[in-house]
Amino acid sequence: MHCKSCVLLTESELAEHPGVTSATSSLKNHSVEVAGDFGDATPHTIARELSALLEKHGYSLSVEKREMSDPRWKDFIYALPIALLFVVAFVALQKTGLVNLVDTGSLSFGTAFLIGIIASLSTCMAVVGGLVLSMSATFAKEGDRVRPQLLFHGGRLASFFLLGGTIGAIGANFSLNTTATFILSLVIGAVMLILGVNLLDVFPWAKRLQLSMPKFLSRHAYGVSQFNHRLTPLIVGVATFFLPCGFTQSMQLYTLSTGNFLSGALTMSAFALGTLPMLALLSFSSLSIQGSAKSGVFFKTAGLIVILFALFNIINSLVVIGLIPPVFNF
Amino acid sequence: MKTAFFLILGIAILFLGYLFLQGTDSPEENTLSTGSNVSIVDGKQVVEIRAKGGYVPRISTAKPGIPTVLQVNTQGTFDCSSVITIPSKGISKNLPPSGVTEIELGSLEPGVLQGACGMGMYPFQINVQD
Repeated sequence: MHCKSCVLLTESELAEHPGVTSATSSLKNHSVEVAGDFGDATPHTIARELSALLEKHGYSLSVEKREMSDPRWKDFIYALPIALLFVVAFVALQKTGLVNLVDTGSLSFGTAFLIGIIASLSTCMAVVGGLVLSMSATFAKEGDRVRPQLLFHGGRLASFFLLGGTIGAIGANFSLNTTATFILSLVIGAVMLILGVNLLDVFPWAKRLQLSMPKFLSRHAYGVSQFNHRLTPLIVGVATFFLPCGFTQSMQLYTLSTGNFLSGALTMSAFALGTLPMLALLSFSSLSIQGSAKSGVFFKTAGLIVILFALFNIINSLVVIGLIPPVFNF
Repeated sequence: MKTAFFLILGIAILFLGYLFLQGTDSPEENTLSTGSNVSIVDGKQVVEIRAKGGYVPRISTAKPGIPTVLQVNTQGTFDCSSVITIPSKGISKNLPPSGVTEIELGSLEPGVLQGACGMGMYPFQINVQD
């Protein structure tokens, strides 16, 4: 049981049993409290009888709480080294002076594309890449595979084209001020942290932290939660335009000077296309792994990387606001 | 198989530790100011730094009590260092990809002025002392 609609479904199915006067499902501890008149039947018999009602929906009832999640600690034997290797490769990449590859003041679309590739390998990856990885792995885990990814990348490309064009046309920037950037970074950091911990699948209590729709809303509209699910990746994709990434910001500043819609739109699009290969690799790696024997290792690895990126982002945003002295230098 | 993974784990940790201890791979003269990037022109103190993949020199030394200008040079700079921030002075400025940007710092108090790029991972500082 993992969503609000499951709560409603199980409650209404159980209420149809003649002996049941009330049934209250709890998502929090995967249990259902049933009250009613069952005569002399033992709890076990009642459970078996009620379980039959729910079977067609894929649920089962038992008196004892079944151990739902097996943390599979063994997966960490592989997940931990892989995650660490990834982080080391990431840090080493920053030390190679990747950013010095661009040595020109003027920008062709080709240069914008190249800058996009470099950006996707730089510290921007900790923000946008981390977000992509956490989101795609979470969706893949829930079984929704291709559509959220396409919506995310589609939304990202569309927003870079449209907003880039708009910046070029009106000659003013949309960039957020320091406080807004700080709040946005903290929110993203927190979301990534929660998604990362969820991907590890070892802390059952973390499920409670997940954002979900209030029950009174979903009771009125089953469809809304589906809609919500569908729209989230699109919105996140569009929002990446505003994420604190130095490369995106300086591209926006350049776009400002182009002075017309088309060249602004094309410059930002070329940049977004440059970032696409790396981001697509991150999001579609989640798809190919789903369902395979190694998926446990993959999700734990992804979880660890996402958590490290989240901490990196949170620490850096505290530096920018001046609360703590700089920690990193790359 | 397990041994191999623990071996990789060990190597990874060692390498990570090395990278963090090393701090920066830029040569010493790039990190520490020799004083030549700070000059006084017409009663104004000018601190000159270069922004690209970080700030060079990373540590400058300036004098207190003189109106000071931070002069930031960019040359094909598209990375994080193109957004320069000095939190204690509430400064956050976008730099052009190539050019010279002057940022008024006013008269400096003795101490350390800490700055960083817009995402916080490229730091720089100005030590203010007599």
